[in-house]
Amino acid sequence: MPHPVVPREWFRNKEGLGLWEGRGKVVATGVGTSPTARRWDEKPETSMGALTILAIRKAIADAGIAPEEIDGLVLTPESTTGISKDPNTPPPPGWEKHFKMASFPQAGITRGDIDWLLLNMPELKNVKFMMNGPICMSVSFVAAAEAVARGLTKTCLVARGWHNLAGRYYVGVGASALNTASGRFKYSSIWGLPACGTTAMVFEEYCRKYGKSHDQMANFVVTSRRNGLMNPDGYYSQHRPEMITVEDYLTARWIAKPANIYDNDLPIMAALAVVFTTPERARDHKQKPVYILSHGQTRPESMGVVPTLEQWERSTDRMGRILYEGAGVGPDDLDFENMYDGFTLFHQFHLEGLRYAARGEKRGYALDLYETDISIEGPNPVSPSGGNNGNGRTRWWNHRDSILQLQGRSPSQIRKKAEIGVSGAPMPDSCDALIWSAKPPV
Amino acid sequence: MAFLISFDIDGTMEFGDPPGGVTVEMVRRAKELGFIVGSCSDRFPSWQKQVWDSHGIPVDFWVAKHMLPDVKARFQAERYVHIGDRDIDRQLAEQVGFHFWWDYEAVAEPWLAWLAWLDDQR
Amino acid sequence: MPKQSPIPDELDKPFYDACNAERLVAQYCTSCRRYQFPPRPRCIRCGKDTAVEWRPLSGRGRIISRVVVYDTPTSSLIPGQPFNVAAIALDDEPEIIMLSHLPGTPVDQVPVGAAVEVIFETTPATGQKVPEWRVIA
Repeated sequence: MPHPVVPREWFRNKEGLGLWEGRGKVVATGVGTSPTARRWDEKPETSMGALTILAIRKAIADAGIAPEEIDGLVLTPESTTGISKDPNTPPPPGWEKHFKMASFPQAGITRGDIDWLLLNMPELKNVKFMMNGPICMSVSFVAAAEAVARGLTKTCLVARGWHNLAGRYYVGVGASALNTASGRFKYSSIWGLPACGTTAMVFEEYCRKYGKSHDQMANFVVTSRRNGLMNPDGYYSQHRPEMITVEDYLTARWIAKPANIYDNDLPIMAALAVVFTTPERARDHKQKPVYILSHGQTRPESMGVVPTLEQWERSTDRMGRILYEGAGVGPDDLDFENMYDGFTLFHQFHLEGLRYAARGEKRGYALDLYETDISIEGPNPVSPSGGNNGNGRTRWWNHRDSILQLQGRSPSQIRKKAEIGVSGAPMPDSCDALIWSAKPPV
Repeated sequence: MAFLISFDIDGTMEFGDPPGGVTVEMVRRAKELGFIVGSCSDRFPSWQKQVWDSHGIPVDFWVAKHMLPDVKARFQAERYVHIGDRDIDRQLAEQVGFHFWWDYEAVAEPWLAWLAWLDDQR
Repeated sequence: MPKQSPIPDELDKPFYDACNAERLVAQYCTSCRRYQFPPRPRCIRCGKDTAVEWRPLSGRGRIISRVVVYDTPTSSLIPGQPFNVAAIALDDEPEIIMLSHLPGTPVDQVPVGAAVEVIFETTPATGQKVPEWRVIA
């Protein structure tokens, strides 16, 4: 059964809307994270669906509530590693012995599916509110925040699984291997840009404009990996605990210069679930409530095949203004920023749009900031979650960590007191972001 | 007269991610037979060295994937070969004058035939 | 560089037909008075489909950025690695960006800021022409 996607009118995608009406009315409490793997080994118990079920059960347990209390479920169905839209692609043989089947055969394998989850989680017997937050879990966080704030659900799960099948999903296979190009990617694929190519191009423009260099990214990449390796739930800490060095980064293989291999994230299998509820109900939850002060959206205004620096700066500037207006706070109130890094080279666009740790600068300061102490011990923690760069590709480590930081239980807890933080994803011109707070708004 | 074999790791070696068909024993055998062996992979060089140490194979080099030119400059050999599972492995190898074998070709240890060629030369 | 041949569809057939005639065109919204590319069913700013028409472009632009591709996903381009990909801002509408391999420009020597003009390159699989760009001295 198709479920609604988050309505556009819930988005805060323009300035002048004032304080967010849901400010102080919704909190996050329980968090559940699945184990990770590099690729699916085709066992039912390690499928993306199974990991999502596991994450949901852990989130409910973490919140210290009964599954019957859950009355809402918001899910992001897609991964960048390819959602199946083919209703004729069968699941692996024997799949039906392990899971009840939803109408879409790839549900739980390459596609998140609310019906499939509910069929296979009989304990979620009271879910009445169901919604999809497409493309990115950030959208689902926003949808759930609005839904709780609007009274459509009292205790809502936000969930998202990532899959990565055996083999390579876009390099030299499928459409990339053809001698023709069709569909919307034909304007870019014939030029052979890898996924990081667009970001590298705008980063190059940034460096040229502000007189910066790719080498200045090294401390950000190393610090992010360090932060990620503190997280026992992250892919790298579980499977590749070796630390990257500045030399590794500076001598790395180019993919699309100025993006090297460590400017790209690693696709993995993983799932996250978070419990959203009202402050009143959160009193009975085991974990400290984390308030959502505001959220904001940007969507591409790009008129060409690739965006420009000007467009990304305009877009991230607007995001900063929308978020702060809705939350009633400003850049100086942020104790950390956990914006997306799923290409490392665009993190600074998000950061500068928020004016995080700016000392009067508007733009072009982030790479200098990266060369200062941006560790969790320092005065300006940058990406304390470690993000995708430190944990593997999910687009949600940053949100997860924002909640944990403000609950005081992040594995990479910042040393200064964490009271307000921000996280958002994915792209600088296509982003959903939230400002989180350890305390209710005054 | 020396022969040099460079092994990619992920998708090529049995301990790679994903695992490939080339076994540690094949590398050990090559080393014991006098080949110059090492790895040329996207994994951190320090990690590569650790892995070979853990298998007790004293490899001659452990470098990033695009460093084949350095390997060639460092070691004098009659023949150079890189073994990998991606087009980029092949391209990087051929650009610097290495012979290239795909991972699935390498499981037959075709380098052993070079020893026969060497015997013929003698 | 043996590019993939783009397969035109109903929406972008006017663009590719014009390329085959060695003319560069783009959609123009008469309501917003601006161009957009790639083609879309309606203006991405005002949402009107009736206001969008095809208009010729001057075929002049400027290089605003570049990358050097060392590891492309596109199989047909692998033998040519590393290669340039430049971002071209059109003189008619600088926020419209087209891409180029800049044939004739050595790898990693892209003159960012330089003026360029359109040329048309035939793609091997179908013979469809696509816009390319060359640096004007």
